[in-house]
Amino acid sequence: MALSHEVASELERILGAGGLVLTPEGRLVYECDMHTFYKGAPDAVALPARAEQVQAIVRVCRAAKVPIVPRGSGTGLIGGAMAPQGGVMVSMNRMASILEVDLPNRCATVQPGLINLWLTNAVRERGWFFAPDPSSQMVSSIGGNVSTNAGGPHCLKYGITTNHVLGLEVVTGHGELVQLGGKTVDRPGYDLTGVTVGSEGTFGLVTAITVRLTHLPEAVKTVLAAFRTVVEASETVSAIIASGMVPAALEMLDEAIISAINAGTGAGYPEGAGAVLLIELDGPSAEVEDQAGRAAAMCRERGALSVSVARDEAERALLWKGRKEAAGAVGRLTAAYLLQDAVVPRSKLPQIMREMVAIGERYRLRIANVFHAGDGNLHPMICYDDRRPDELARAKDANEELLRACIALGGSVTGEHGNGLDKSKNLPLQYAEADLNFMYRLRRVFDPDHLMNPGKLLPTHPACGEGFRPQRPVLPAGTWV
Amino acid sequence: MSPAARALAGALGALVGPAGIGESEAARAAAAVDGRPPRWVVRPRTVDEAAAVVALAHDEGLAVVPRGAGTALGLGVPPERVDVVLDLGGLDAILEHNPEDMTVTVQAGVTGGALAARLAGHRQTLPLDPPGWATRTLGGIAATAASGPVRARYGTMRDLLLGVRFVQADGVITWGGARVVKSVTGYDIPKLLVGSLGTLAVLAELTLRLHPLPDAQATCVVALDGLEEAQALAATVMDSALQPSRLEVLNAGALRASNLPPAAAGVVASFGSVAPAVRAQQAALAGAAARARGRLETLGPGFWKSYDRMLALTGSTVLRIAMPASRLAETLAAAQAAMADVGDVVATACAPLGVVRVGAGQAEAPALADAVQRLRAFVAGDGGSVVVERGPVALRAAVDPWGPVPAAALALMRGLKQEFDPRQTLNPGRFVGGI
Repeated sequence: MALSHEVASELERILGAGGLVLTPEGRLVYECDMHTFYKGAPDAVALPARAEQVQAIVRVCRAAKVPIVPRGSGTGLIGGAMAPQGGVMVSMNRMASILEVDLPNRCATVQPGLINLWLTNAVRERGWFFAPDPSSQMVSSIGGNVSTNAGGPHCLKYGITTNHVLGLEVVTGHGELVQLGGKTVDRPGYDLTGVTVGSEGTFGLVTAITVRLTHLPEAVKTVLAAFRTVVEASETVSAIIASGMVPAALEMLDEAIISAINAGTGAGYPEGAGAVLLIELDGPSAEVEDQAGRAAAMCRERGALSVSVARDEAERALLWKGRKEAAGAVGRLTAAYLLQDAVVPRSKLPQIMREMVAIGERYRLRIANVFHAGDGNLHPMICYDDRRPDELARAKDANEELLRACIALGGSVTGEHGNGLDKSKNLPLQYAEADLNFMYRLRRVFDPDHLMNPGKLLPTHPACGEGFRPQRPVLPAGTWV
Repeated sequence: MSPAARALAGALGALVGPAGIGESEAARAAAAVDGRPPRWVVRPRTVDEAAAVVALAHDEGLAVVPRGAGTALGLGVPPERVDVVLDLGGLDAILEHNPEDMTVTVQAGVTGGALAARLAGHRQTLPLDPPGWATRTLGGIAATAASGPVRARYGTMRDLLLGVRFVQADGVITWGGARVVKSVTGYDIPKLLVGSLGTLAVLAELTLRLHPLPDAQATCVVALDGLEEAQALAATVMDSALQPSRLEVLNAGALRASNLPPAAAGVVASFGSVAPAVRAQQAALAGAAARARGRLETLGPGFWKSYDRMLALTGSTVLRIAMPASRLAETLAAAQAAMADVGDVVATACAPLGVVRVGAGQAEAPALADAVQRLRAFVAGDGGSVVVERGPVALRAAVDPWGPVPAAALALMRGLKQEFDPRQTLNPGRFVGGI
């Protein structure tokens, strides 16, 4: 559905010269995020520079019933920042400034298009950082992080994006510019900030974000241990957590990833290792010293093939090198893969890893794993050959089976990537009709016309958007009725 | 009792059993909310029973006030309608503790103390310590978003509630969130319900994130010559790599009430870690205290228990003020000045968050109301808030205990109430903006 001439010219008037992309070549760039499976180019791309423009765009689109899709850096993995129903995509790339750094109050206010790492870069010398660190942090925007409630390797200790968001400025689906939360905590009323983080643009467009800054730790220590099997490594993860430490990060790489990394630039992981565990501890020096020693000892006790402790920043960077290259290294294994983000209770890691091997064998597919072991957040990459349609079909079936296995163990569909178009269909695995109905109604309060990023986050019901029918308690027939 | 009322009583009794319904004068008086006794006190034994009671109340147009331990029933606008006090104290089962996953699922009526006792053997803790936490229910702490000193390190219920089972206003049992420590599937429903004062749903079960108990802990107080000095010392700690578990600033009245050395102001900090790290951090604090000309004293392990008791019992009127941390001393001074006529003011603050708790003695409502208004004028420019956490009914009838909420945000909040409780079944009229 193309935009009407009236809407397009009204948007051009709001955005000024160069603020609206209408050409097919220009729009093509915006047809997908990093989940390139799902394609849908918008009818126009708006490039606002101010919140007032964002509000004006929403009002024009709302009057014309045109869908609105927000976009940050487009690094999402879920089919979120793309426009399956067309409409206007609002790119936040021109709203990328740091508005204020307020160190006495340990916070900063930024525009949504600001690159995650740039905020840390701006405050690191003064001893502070922005804790959420998705692997994409060099390119992903804080607005996008807020939209998907992004996590990262260090959220095991520091929490995910929502734990660091103090306030938002949002243009809701009503076209209202609303301030939610802010520098002061405990505002009376419902926690609208908390419920808006992770709403993937379905409540509105975020135009400013106040985030908490965290003081840099006194010391950081990284331990790398190689194990024969993923199960041994998983058991070590449980032992470390059970011993009362909360490492800053606890990452695991499996055999497929290790050999892919070794075949490339080479982080020099031991040959024959079935799993590599990367343990990072940070905090007061004496604490880090003590815990790193204990963690290394636990790895040895559990039969680690090798244990190395980084002595300085250069060695630490080396230990992380393989982990950071993991996603790229997968390219050596396969032309294409399906990426999952399911979570299982940490204690179920050995069990799910065994199950994953069985699923891989059953579907004759290689499943590579690099994941956040500390919080049970898996990232299986189900490899397939995209020139062979039957492999894709098998990969999809394997993906579904693996997801069901995670949920059966008490897990969750997505730990940090978000729902988008990709995972919304899986929500009924985790939520009953009443739960989904509640979420539909919540969305309606913020977006009565269902124009904000439609088709994302929640599944489409066969009958209609609100077709999920919750069960009320059956009251005994009585004399009071 | 009218025939209709008798029929309703019979129906409620059929849902929860005769022992689960209180209709006697004494039972009703004991459950009065701000002096208003309910028509019935209903105590369900299961979540299904609770849901059935809410469904019936919804259909019959009854107002339901959910209740945990009753600690914070005085929070909010005095109610105009109380038909059913829904006593959730019977939902007191710890359903599942997974020590390896550091998660626990409890029914809403489980108290902080009961959970702590269960977790202690595993050296784990739910780090939530609002005043009187041991006898408060976790459902109540969630509904009121109550917090205490350890939020300086661990955050509040909002950071710890992973999943929640709740009863909607029409009785539908619903689940939101997850049972694992990390999930972004669907909307973050737990955030919506924390602090919602039972106005959107009745909380029935909570899945919570736990933390390890540190190997060693130590607490010390630094006595200082003024509130500015106390704020400055706290700021020094915050702008360092120290990781205090608690960092409280106390005024003279609070030092006195806590049996601490008399001074114009004090900073009380605790550290939890492995023993060498606790010692090192204490030494660092001692150094900072000496540079600030403070007098440091180490406190015994029982201090936080007595501090908790002091907070829980002090003040027939309690205000909670939120301001930027950089204006902490001014805020404490403003609170003391505003409440000067009320007598001894006990003011404490969680320094990193800028949250101040002010307890004051008996006073006439107009004088208290005036103090609240003056403080609201003081905080307005900084986006701060002044909430009456506890206080005489006359005070909370004279001034809105919540204070103003910006119009655009309030419109969304009213939209939520209209969507999820259009018949005004749940705690009607007690929350912000008349919700």
